[in-house]
Amino acid sequence: MLKKLALGTLVLASSVFAASEVNVYSVRHYDTDKKLFKMFEEKTGIKVNVVKAKGGALIKRLKSEGKNSPADILITVDAGNLYKAKSADLLQSIESDYLAKNIPTNLKDKDNTWFALTKRSRVTLYKIGSGTEKMLSTYEDLADPKFKGKIVVRSSSNIYNQSLLAAMIEHHGEAKALEWAKGVVANMARDPKGNDRAQVKAVANGIGAVAIANTYYVGKMVNNKDASQRDAIAKMKVFFPTFKNGGTHVNVSGAGVTKYSPNKANAIKFIEFLASTDAQELFAKANYEYPVLAGVKSSDLVSSWGTFKEDTISVDRLGENNAKAVKIFDKAGWK
Amino acid sequence: MKYFNKLTISSVFLTLLISIPALLILVNIFAPETENWQHLKDTVLLEYVFNSLYIMVGVAFLTTIIGFSTAYITTMYSFTFSSFYHYALILPFAIPTYIVSYVYAGMFDMTGSITLFILDLMGKENVSEVFFMDIMSIEGAIIVMSLVLYPYVYLICKTYLISESSSIIDASRTMGLNSWQIFTRVIIPISRPAIVAGTILAVMEAVSDFGVVDYYGVSTFVTGIFRTWQGMGSLEDASKLASMLMMFIFILILLERFQRRNKRYRSSGKDFAPISKIKLTGRKNVLANILCFLPVFFGFILPFVQMSYWFILSYEDVIDEDFITLLLQTLGLGVGGSILITILAFIFVYTVRIHKNKLSDTLTQTVKLGYSIPGAVVAVGVLSFFSIIDRTLDIFITGSILAILFGYCVRFLAISINNYESGFLKVPQSYDDACKTMNISEFTKLTKVVIPLIKNSAMASFIVVFIEIIKELPLTMILRPFNFDTLAVYSHELVGQAEVFESSVPAMFIVLLGTISVLLLARKMIKD
Repeated sequence: MLKKLALGTLVLASSVFAASEVNVYSVRHYDTDKKLFKMFEEKTGIKVNVVKAKGGALIKRLKSEGKNSPADILITVDAGNLYKAKSADLLQSIESDYLAKNIPTNLKDKDNTWFALTKRSRVTLYKIGSGTEKMLSTYEDLADPKFKGKIVVRSSSNIYNQSLLAAMIEHHGEAKALEWAKGVVANMARDPKGNDRAQVKAVANGIGAVAIANTYYVGKMVNNKDASQRDAIAKMKVFFPTFKNGGTHVNVSGAGVTKYSPNKANAIKFIEFLASTDAQELFAKANYEYPVLAGVKSSDLVSSWGTFKEDTISVDRLGENNAKAVKIFDKAGWK
Repeated sequence: MKYFNKLTISSVFLTLLISIPALLILVNIFAPETENWQHLKDTVLLEYVFNSLYIMVGVAFLTTIIGFSTAYITTMYSFTFSSFYHYALILPFAIPTYIVSYVYAGMFDMTGSITLFILDLMGKENVSEVFFMDIMSIEGAIIVMSLVLYPYVYLICKTYLISESSSIIDASRTMGLNSWQIFTRVIIPISRPAIVAGTILAVMEAVSDFGVVDYYGVSTFVTGIFRTWQGMGSLEDASKLASMLMMFIFILILLERFQRRNKRYRSSGKDFAPISKIKLTGRKNVLANILCFLPVFFGFILPFVQMSYWFILSYEDVIDEDFITLLLQTLGLGVGGSILITILAFIFVYTVRIHKNKLSDTLTQTVKLGYSIPGAVVAVGVLSFFSIIDRTLDIFITGSILAILFGYCVRFLAISINNYESGFLKVPQSYDDACKTMNISEFTKLTKVVIPLIKNSAMASFIVVFIEIIKELPLTMILRPFNFDTLAVYSHELVGQAEVFESSVPAMFIVLLGTISVLLLARKMIKD
């Protein structure tokens, strides 16, 4: 009975939608994405169905569903998850002239299983007039004892911190990365807690001197209903640190086509759309992220923070180093 | 042969079905030690154990004190606003713990509104100059959880105290014991099973919490499970941690059973009379009011006021057509899930009662374990289970409403079973014997005697499970079908983007639905 019912529903559902839908598993929860999905629906007539959850959960779900999975696309907010999905053989290599031509090499998988859609950089913020900017230079330098009691940062369970450390591992190896993490822990003004915005607010209100946060939160705080967020960010300024032998740490949001995608053609169309000028402009303006498509400008607000030299290590290395990073955090006592 | 009856067989089948996700997790406890596991042992495992224990003890202590004292005061005494507290004391139950934690951080953390207000008042620039306590700490997490979870103790103790015949108290009074002596020598000893049952529920809820500890930066088993799963990419080691947590809880349940052994619940219908409440006046009246008001204020009024303020600022941006759909989806899931669970739990408890075999009893206790497993871990178990079915039958249940409902059964049957167990205590065994002597058929007994008598427990179970479901987060999030949202999931998404103001809009609806349910529950209890 159950089987019949399930089958019936499936047949019914597939006959109604199959020809004109694309099923998305997404980690991103932004309103911008909702708008983009609607734009795509209007433009192509292809209906976008979405399930949103955390990266690990979606990957587990894809794995469990196997060949029966209805998912066509996996979208996540960092390279680590895309890498995990690829290593678990959940994504397929796709051919798209548009993506091949327009997405820079370091921002896509070498086998074309996934492509970056937006970039965000992980930076430091300090209080205007505090003189802290004179001390700031590289990420490596944040472990220097001169910052003792000055650094606030969120917990190491957070993927943004894991990716930053993964980049450190890539640049300097595990031993140096551990030393660095220990140094930063020794310099913390308080135990890690709260999200990126909480770190910015803490420094604005006199706890510590340097906050580590992602750039797009700055944009979100500037345009916020919450006066305490606007007040806090008004007192702060962004500083773009670099790696000694590289640039400012960037991570990506990206998308890949799932291995058993039932609507592969639609899926490719959808990713191409997300990498199109229109979509990239919306990503850049509404969510204060950096576009991946050359020629699309950042929003005025984002540009006002200044330009920076981007780190060029391939983002899939961040994924490969992720598990190592978590272990190093544990060893360093970074909560 | 005693196990071969329809009820036992169906409850065995149901238990097996419902235990599968937990078993799929539990087998990992025997998995060989991996390099990751060695790493966990060397670095953070001890901290997970210590912090989880600390939270368990802290929450047990605070919820017992708050829950039992208020249950006692409102049952035994009448004072100016006592009938108001009868309802109000359950209200914190309507607010999800993680939401209260955001509200408290928003007010009291180092950059919270109240902290900044004090800063302003003192004319100081830097928080560090005036800051005295950080709510975002393990102690803060314990306080926040206890404020929301004490109603478990309150509810169970209150139901128990009301149902206890007044005669024992009257007898104590006649024997010349004063209120304090009655409280310490009579009430506490006889209430112990109820206190322990309520506290265990609160502790199970606390120890499987993710939202509060994650936001407050406290490492526990649950944050460890996520970290190991998501960060280290090892679901096996994460499951091993989860299975350790389950063993923990299992021991707790055994202890509870052990302390209850040999304790006969003395309940017989005939001497059931309402307790004659003592009227409090003067200073005692004020004191009783203060004692009852504090938990209501900190557990409900304060977070509610703060949320209302956020709600007013942001509702226009959040409420649209999609929001109405999401509201209906939440309601549908809540009602459907609660009915299902209330029926299933009845089968379990009733089997134990009429067949009194060890097998059914053990099964029922096993099913209760599900409540201790964090929602996300249950979801993983459910995914693994259904993916096997999907592949075997070539159908697609994973990611359907059915999978979510199944997950709810795994997780929330314990609450429903607890409700029935205390309800059945009030139906004396002599009724069953009487039915037997009168040759009344099982079916007639069930419909004419048993169901009418435990109708209220069933109602209470329905309401409590409904509230749990509409608050539930990780399980729904992981298992839901395409384009399917609930209020809790949406609220969490907004918090994930740090849009705390906007997140208060769906959260407010959860609280309102919860409040309505809680009020219904309180009315039921009065009628009881």
